[in-house]
Amino acid sequence: MQFKLDRRERASRRMLLLTPLLAVLLSVITSSLLLLILNKPVGSTLHSFFIAPFENFYSITEVFLKFGPLLLIAQALAVGFRAKVWNIGAEGQMIIGAIAASSVPVYFVDSTSGWLLPAMIALGAAGGMSWAAIAAWLKTRFNANEILVTLMLTSIALQLLYYLLLGPWKDPMGFNFPQTVMFQNEALFSPLFSGVRLNTSIIIPIIFTVAVWLFMERHFGGFKLVVGGLAPQAATYAGFSAKKAVWVSLLLAGFAAGLAGMSEVAGPIGQLQRSVTSGYGYSAIIVAYLGALNPVGIVFAAFFVAVLQIGGDVALVSANLPISAVHVFQGLLLIFYLATYTLVNYQIRPLRHASSSTTEGQPT
Amino acid sequence: MNRMSKALAAIVTAGCMFGTAQADTLEIGVLLPSPIADVGWSHALNEGIAAVVEKYGDKVNVSTIENIQEGPDADRIMNKMIGDGHEFLLLGSFGYMNAGLKLAQRNPERTFLHASGYKTAKNFSPFTAKYYEGAYLMGMAAAELTKTKKLGVVSAFAIPELISTINGFTLGARSIDPDITVDVIWINSWFDPAKAQDSAKALLAGGADILFSNAQDTPSVVTVGEEAGAYVFNLNSSMKEYAPTKYLGVVKTDWAPFFVASVDAHLAGTFEGANEWLGMDDDVVVVEDWSSDISSDMMTRIQAMHEEIASGARHVYDGPLVNQAGEEVIPTGQRLEDGAILGMDWHVEGVNSPLPK
Repeated sequence: MQFKLDRRERASRRMLLLTPLLAVLLSVITSSLLLLILNKPVGSTLHSFFIAPFENFYSITEVFLKFGPLLLIAQALAVGFRAKVWNIGAEGQMIIGAIAASSVPVYFVDSTSGWLLPAMIALGAAGGMSWAAIAAWLKTRFNANEILVTLMLTSIALQLLYYLLLGPWKDPMGFNFPQTVMFQNEALFSPLFSGVRLNTSIIIPIIFTVAVWLFMERHFGGFKLVVGGLAPQAATYAGFSAKKAVWVSLLLAGFAAGLAGMSEVAGPIGQLQRSVTSGYGYSAIIVAYLGALNPVGIVFAAFFVAVLQIGGDVALVSANLPISAVHVFQGLLLIFYLATYTLVNYQIRPLRHASSSTTEGQPT
Repeated sequence: MNRMSKALAAIVTAGCMFGTAQADTLEIGVLLPSPIADVGWSHALNEGIAAVVEKYGDKVNVSTIENIQEGPDADRIMNKMIGDGHEFLLLGSFGYMNAGLKLAQRNPERTFLHASGYKTAKNFSPFTAKYYEGAYLMGMAAAELTKTKKLGVVSAFAIPELISTINGFTLGARSIDPDITVDVIWINSWFDPAKAQDSAKALLAGGADILFSNAQDTPSVVTVGEEAGAYVFNLNSSMKEYAPTKYLGVVKTDWAPFFVASVDAHLAGTFEGANEWLGMDDDVVVVEDWSSDISSDMMTRIQAMHEEIASGARHVYDGPLVNQAGEEVIPTGQRLEDGAILGMDWHVEGVNSPLPK
């Protein structure tokens, strides 16, 4: 029997909720097959991925440590994606946020002031926004493609980071190793419990999520933003600005990514070093889409991806899985999601011999 | 009922046996920054661990995790290794230092070896090789083979370990021919094939006819040397197959003696954390695969110098030592202190390129 894809009259809400689950299921099945080929025990590997992250208190706190930045950045990116503003450079905005925030403890090495952390928060957010603003300006002024601009700005941010670490911001007692001084306690978020790395910065993504939810779901501004991106001309007739959609989307993402970068250097890392992002800027794109660009969906998606990443680390150690296998598993998830997303707008129907209907669509 | 209790007893016994088997096996955890591959840094560390396995067989169980970027994720993986009961950890990169040290302080009964760092604790030993000893000999060989009297170095980070290696190379070359100068390009990466290649080509274009691939985990520079007909050498593991006709030799690191001794000490309960700085006399720095183009006369001089350095009769950093500005740092008859080499942040006379500040 043959099948064809029929376009639905309207996007299926049920499928919208089902696709992430379907994607997870398919990637679990495919990875299990791959594990069999690799000759790795399927059961214990899946256990590492999905159960082990919850087996002890420390792992659970680590899941939330990953959850925070993923949630924060993904919420902001999703707003932009809904307005069709493709910011791929959250990674770069995160780096600049981390740099801007680090300037405080780097220049005030001996300070024990209570204002250190608030200043770092403000600078981190401002840093990320300023980096995103470059892309927004180029887009609105010269219509430069924001995908390319944000992506290339990430490379520039990375070079700036390397320059600072090898030059002016290098730890004078660090034997020329590319890193800054370790930050003083006053420049760090306090751990929520003793002996864990999860810290008070976790409230930032939570507050941000509530704010985004209110803005997008309950506020007219959110609607204007989406229309501005989806149908710029219609938006203009209605008096909404497409340019504003670009500015709001990018600044919001810069704000969130900058804060995320700040939370990393003032959190688990405790200094500025060559790797500060752990790839959050890119993973957050996956999270935003897995969460169907919906503020509530993204909470679940961020949690799921955090579990997957912690699980991946466990699998490296306990199941002795190569790191590339972990990446393959995470990549499969996105591919299957994008593939199954087709079912939101299309449905699969068996292809029958046309007997009565003449309005049948073209088989695809 | 009886059958069930028998089964239970069997399970408990099996469990106990499993428990004792575990206790007899030393769980070794290895964390590496790059893929093990066929050559380079991680490969050399892995060979060292292989020697431990060879000696102890079933009594050790090694889990190796390769290609882990320095940063918060590496910290978590280390933590997980501790949680999984690894008693002996080998942390293969500088960037694992701060998190590794914290873990060491929290787990005083476990042993940590850490590559390239400078912080030490009772159960936490940083280890580095005295590459400069081998590089000095390479400098002597290079001095004989160069026609342009210009040598080129493609180098990773401007850290003391690599600076002192370049200085050793320069001193060796100028001990034969004081007109020789050395150009350095810092590419700020351990592994960046494209950048390493471009830099090697730039050095050749600038007149160098001998290349030194300083701490590059890729054979890129070595390949460029072979293609351009310039002699080339590197650190850590032999890359002769990438430059069959132009390979000057390798300053190899053989970590086996050090790793085996550390595991011995750990098992005997006598491990003492210390800054382990290992050279020719420890059999860690090994120079081999010498090019057959070096004259036998020069090989004799190199062998003699090799013995003098290994025996301690001579030191690469014996005075007189003059820095790039032409100022005397150490007069004749004196020797640069170990601390000054471990923290070296200046170049000797003869190195043209300024040190990145």
